[in-house]
Amino acid sequence: MIRGKKHLRFTVSSFHHFLSFIVTCYLLLIFTSCSSSNRLDGYVYYRLNTNPTTLDPALVVDVTGGFISAKLFNGLVKLREDLSIAPDIASKWEISKDGLTYRFELKHGVKFSNNREVKAYDFKYSFKRILDPKTRSPNTWVLEKIAGAREFMNGTAPDVSGIKVIDDYTLEIRLNEPFSPFLNLLTMIAAYVVPEEECKRWGADFSSHPVGTGPFVLKQWLPNRELVLDARKDYFGGTPKLKGMIYRIIPEDLTTITEFELGNLDIITIPASAFSRFKKDPEWNQLIASLRGINTYYLGLNCSKKPFNNILLRRAMNYAIDREKMLRTVYEGRGRIAAGPLPDVLRKWPSPPSYRYDPEKARELIKTAGFSDGFEVDFYITADQEVVDIAEVIQAYLREIGIKVKLKQLEWSAYKEAINKGEPDMFWLSWWADYPDPENFLFPLFHSSNLGAGGNRARYSNPEVDSLIEAGQHARTIKERDMYYEKVEKVIVDDAPWVFFWHRTDFTLRQPWIKNYKIHPIYSMDKGMEIGF
Amino acid sequence: MKIYVFKRLLLLIPLLLGITLLTFSLTNALPGDPALSLVGERAQPEVIEKIRKELGSDKNIIVQYAGYLRLLLKGELGRSYYTNRKVFDDIVIKFPNTIKLALGAILIAVPIGLLLGFISAYKRNTYIDRLISSLSITGLSLPVFWSGLLIMLLLSLKLKLFPPSGTGDLRFLVMPALTLSLPAIATLARVTRTSVIEIFDMPFINTARAKGLPVMKINFVHVFKNALIPLVTVIGLDFGSYLNGAVLTETIFGWDGIGRFTMEGIIKRDYPVIMGCIMVGTVVFVLINLVMDIVYHYIDPRVRLHDSDR
Repeated sequence: MIRGKKHLRFTVSSFHHFLSFIVTCYLLLIFTSCSSSNRLDGYVYYRLNTNPTTLDPALVVDVTGGFISAKLFNGLVKLREDLSIAPDIASKWEISKDGLTYRFELKHGVKFSNNREVKAYDFKYSFKRILDPKTRSPNTWVLEKIAGAREFMNGTAPDVSGIKVIDDYTLEIRLNEPFSPFLNLLTMIAAYVVPEEECKRWGADFSSHPVGTGPFVLKQWLPNRELVLDARKDYFGGTPKLKGMIYRIIPEDLTTITEFELGNLDIITIPASAFSRFKKDPEWNQLIASLRGINTYYLGLNCSKKPFNNILLRRAMNYAIDREKMLRTVYEGRGRIAAGPLPDVLRKWPSPPSYRYDPEKARELIKTAGFSDGFEVDFYITADQEVVDIAEVIQAYLREIGIKVKLKQLEWSAYKEAINKGEPDMFWLSWWADYPDPENFLFPLFHSSNLGAGGNRARYSNPEVDSLIEAGQHARTIKERDMYYEKVEKVIVDDAPWVFFWHRTDFTLRQPWIKNYKIHPIYSMDKGMEIGF
Repeated sequence: MKIYVFKRLLLLIPLLLGITLLTFSLTNALPGDPALSLVGERAQPEVIEKIRKELGSDKNIIVQYAGYLRLLLKGELGRSYYTNRKVFDDIVIKFPNTIKLALGAILIAVPIGLLLGFISAYKRNTYIDRLISSLSITGLSLPVFWSGLLIMLLLSLKLKLFPPSGTGDLRFLVMPALTLSLPAIATLARVTRTSVIEIFDMPFINTARAKGLPVMKINFVHVFKNALIPLVTVIGLDFGSYLNGAVLTETIFGWDGIGRFTMEGIIKRDYPVIMGCIMVGTVVFVLINLVMDIVYHYIDPRVRLHDSDR
């Protein structure tokens, strides 16, 4: 009885406590809410749809990471607006007559954000760090043309013989064989310079404590929330007009648009779902900037097995699909039709004769190939809604000419594994430039040494194409190089290992108060120096 | 009691061992390869091979599992394959956010759910009861990604009360917590209604009335206390599942919790992250269950622990 009473009292009082606790919570909630946005003055707000995996130049493979790394680090050379090569930390360079040796003079007084001056040795260290297997860098291919790189990677040599520090401000790099786009490679994130002492100090955590020469420094990185970059006053290329930049990580597109409309974001890439809405709005329409992206979207046809080892069927596929109509409708005009594998931006010669929509011709080719009863193919796609929409339209076009398409939807990493192994008959993929040179769209994608994970996922192999690509790589002059590339593109279009779809154009939207905003064809070009309020 | 708690905690060890084995074999059975996701779009096969070696994913699965257990014994959860950050450090940052969100949701859900349930029970079979019933069915069947966006449109874009997304103080918490609480309010209202109605029909309530006890006392002490027992179960289960992350809610509102972290780990085949999150999730669930059992002990004499258990 007594015990019961005690118990009863306990419940009543705890209920009162509970009640008052809840009331306090609600009051707190009301008082602390209802305030406007808390923007920092002088900072530009961007949106990232995913957390950058790393900011360490040696490890960056994702666009998000690269976009931010570019603001923290510099390389020997960089790209100009017209995609030609400009000096960055190097003030000038000389290339030997045989095209093998590159000698770089470094600028004086370029400082890391830890206040130490950059010397030639730092580049040697940074390049060796990429090639060192312990770094686990996926970007070794950027530097493996350097003499002695392979031996160093395999552990048969203690040093990279091709990188020589002549003095504090002179660096010499020797290649195994001439490689015309080598300077282009050096504009990439992987070729940025990092300070040895900081890499050693932080070890694996250098990624979240990056120290570089760039116009900004990383002030704070709350993974999956935001990154704050502060402008440097002692950047060798001038002072940014901003106090800093804030990248907010917002996975959801609709949330991003809400944030933008409330003025909490300054610049966004327009999500596909909202594109037509902003375009039709006269107020926003003027604040849209477009950029002809250096990329190619394609339908890959597996050339290594039946049925697409038959060239006639591959050509038939190119005639069977009305890509122009798809670009206008499904893709809402957010791109340019592809004539061949090379993006229009990089092609300095007339486009190769391309395929036009002609279902009759496609049927004829299929008949000639001996498949008049039609056939069945597996089409692998990712779960991305945009891709699913496109795939269904392709499926319908192919049904018209008697090809039965079985769609197989896979999650991204499983998809990648399957196409690297050459499982599907066809697949949907895009290729984005690592550096703006035609070679970047030819060697990885069509050279037979890159089958599968190397980039050639259509498993296309043609000795003539191989030798033309190599000749282009070894060419001494741009004119000579372009001649080879023009030829090789024609052969590839004729062999039709892909259905060449389009080059995507990206659209960004900015707030009216943002001044001098520029959109760059390659993400690493944006150092954030011009933009201001 | 102490011995009982100790025993339950001791049981965690074999349980965790079983969970690690299960998740480890399941994640390894998934198609997809972390090394492939790690290298980007262009990689020589030998580079992939080297990275596999560095990650240890080229080894036999039993060797890999043993390696993971060794790491655990050292009190570590390893580093993410992608970000190279310590999984433990990230969980320490994200878990408090998840707790905040879960607490927020429960704080909204419990009073509203109970109140609605009580009203429903009192006004049994009237139009108010029917209204609440249909509202709670709606609440249960609304998908979070829809209700979440609607709440954002209304409270953020139109009324400008709260920031649409982000992780931080209470202002950021309200909308995700509200979204997450909707299904819980609905469940709670239904469960409360049923159990309160059941208790109303019990003889001891009649006795209390006959004794002339004040209505408020009957309601709060006798009815409420007895109705609490099934509610504790529901609240505990909801709370436990919130603590394991609410992927959709966290994604819509950009809330930096354990759910998004786990999901990203799964998508990228980031094994250390997946394992770490599941381990923490398991521990949390076991602890919540334990706390619930202890709460039962106080509110329900029938399930009170026997002396032999203490």
